[in-house]
Amino acid sequence: MKKWLAGMVLALLATLPLIAFAGVPLDTVKTNVDSVLEVLRDPKLQGEAGKKVKAQRIEAAAEKLFDFVELSKRTLGVNWNKFTPEQRKEFVRLFESILKNAYVDRITAYTDEQVSFTKEIPLSGDTVEVRSVVIGKNNQVPIEYRVIKESNQWKVYDVVIEGVSLIENYRSQFREILGNNPPETLLDTLRKKVGAG
Amino acid sequence: MSRWNAGRDRRRSGARGLTLGPVVLAAFFLCLSPLHTWADGPDPDTGTEVNAPAAGKQVEETGSSPAATAEKPSDQYGDVTGQEAEGVGTRIADPIEPWNRAMYHVNDKLYFWLLKPTTKAYKYAVPEGFRGLIGNFYQNIKAPVRIVNNFLQGKPHYAALELARFLVNSTVGVGGLRECATQCFGITGREADFGQTLGKYGVGTGFYIVWPLLGPSSPRDTVGWAADLALTPTFYVSSQWFSPETVGLYALDKVNYTSFHLGDYEALKAAAIDPYVAMRDAYVQYRKKAVEQ
Repeated sequence: MKKWLAGMVLALLATLPLIAFAGVPLDTVKTNVDSVLEVLRDPKLQGEAGKKVKAQRIEAAAEKLFDFVELSKRTLGVNWNKFTPEQRKEFVRLFESILKNAYVDRITAYTDEQVSFTKEIPLSGDTVEVRSVVIGKNNQVPIEYRVIKESNQWKVYDVVIEGVSLIENYRSQFREILGNNPPETLLDTLRKKVGAG
Repeated sequence: MSRWNAGRDRRRSGARGLTLGPVVLAAFFLCLSPLHTWADGPDPDTGTEVNAPAAGKQVEETGSSPAATAEKPSDQYGDVTGQEAEGVGTRIADPIEPWNRAMYHVNDKLYFWLLKPTTKAYKYAVPEGFRGLIGNFYQNIKAPVRIVNNFLQGKPHYAALELARFLVNSTVGVGGLRECATQCFGITGREADFGQTLGKYGVGTGFYIVWPLLGPSSPRDTVGWAADLALTPTFYVSSQWFSPETVGLYALDKVNYTSFHLGDYEALKAAAIDPYVAMRDAYVQYRKKAVEQ
């Protein structure tokens, strides 16, 4: 009996790390997305007064969720290498600001959707795709988060909705500008956009 | 503009129509967008996927670049190499870009000046539950499109499921007003359209076309849209192409669909650096996925 018990405990212990490991990327994304949804649904933050607090909290959650540097690099692709270190830093800052604004604008409009995380699929050594489905009243939208492990943290570097990748979409826009123009032109366009927003 | 074409229903897992605009955005807004709902129109875009590593004016984006060398790997602002530098090549040729851009602006104005105000009034006047029934009706009436295309795509199983759905919804669901097949019996089908069917048979996308009213498309998707329209029963309510009945039914579908998606297009535009390119890319990626799955 004792032996059996010990065996059980051992088996349990042996599987624990595995389970924990398998779930880390998914859990990380889930935790952060859930925290955004929580802010959205917080009854104390309704109305105009709560709007600003909401936006700040969502922004903070977005910061934890996304790796904006990785996102920027993958969006620019090889064009990233044409930027000087200073230009790279500025690009990341501007792009981050654009993405956050858009994200906050948009997401504050939603409250009743349910998000269910279904599974994670390894893409490469340090990247994983976390799949989720957003269940609205009349529809279901598949959303995939691509995450990368960086200094022991899983961070999102791409979001794919219904097959449309966010970074690919921006890449096509930036490519068009960078095709005939130096990085400075793109930075200028972004500066204007951030300034206007 | 996506919403013009955006139609189809994506509630079930299957294919989706093009909803690019929203799609994109949504994408990013990670969350939730009701992008798809019921209505699913025989959109023009529906039809096709765009696989388009086509020509186009875009520039390179391959993994390798002479620049992609040195730099300390530890620096997160260092050069990109390998995976990071790789482009996922989804492109489409855009030889008639001036026309397309002009049509994009026409559609943009049509949305803000006509569709949006009309939809707002409609949304105000018609309760959500009722709009839901109308969405179900349109979704159901387009069952022939899904049945035929699933069959043509070598998926008789889904064709049968769509047929079952159609029969249940048309009877127990009272003429398709209620989505009883899914809600009562758990029957879910698969979206399918003729442009997608053509893509599966190897027909390439061709190039990008923006139609006034209908939105992003390609030669293949345009053919697909026409074929799907021919499979849509509401198209036959009148013997003429343009009659008050056909146009009215189409407009109601559009407005009803849009009533669930107000704000999607605005958000896409707000997030984009070049909304025209953003929409084109979303369209291409979206159709590519439809053909691949």
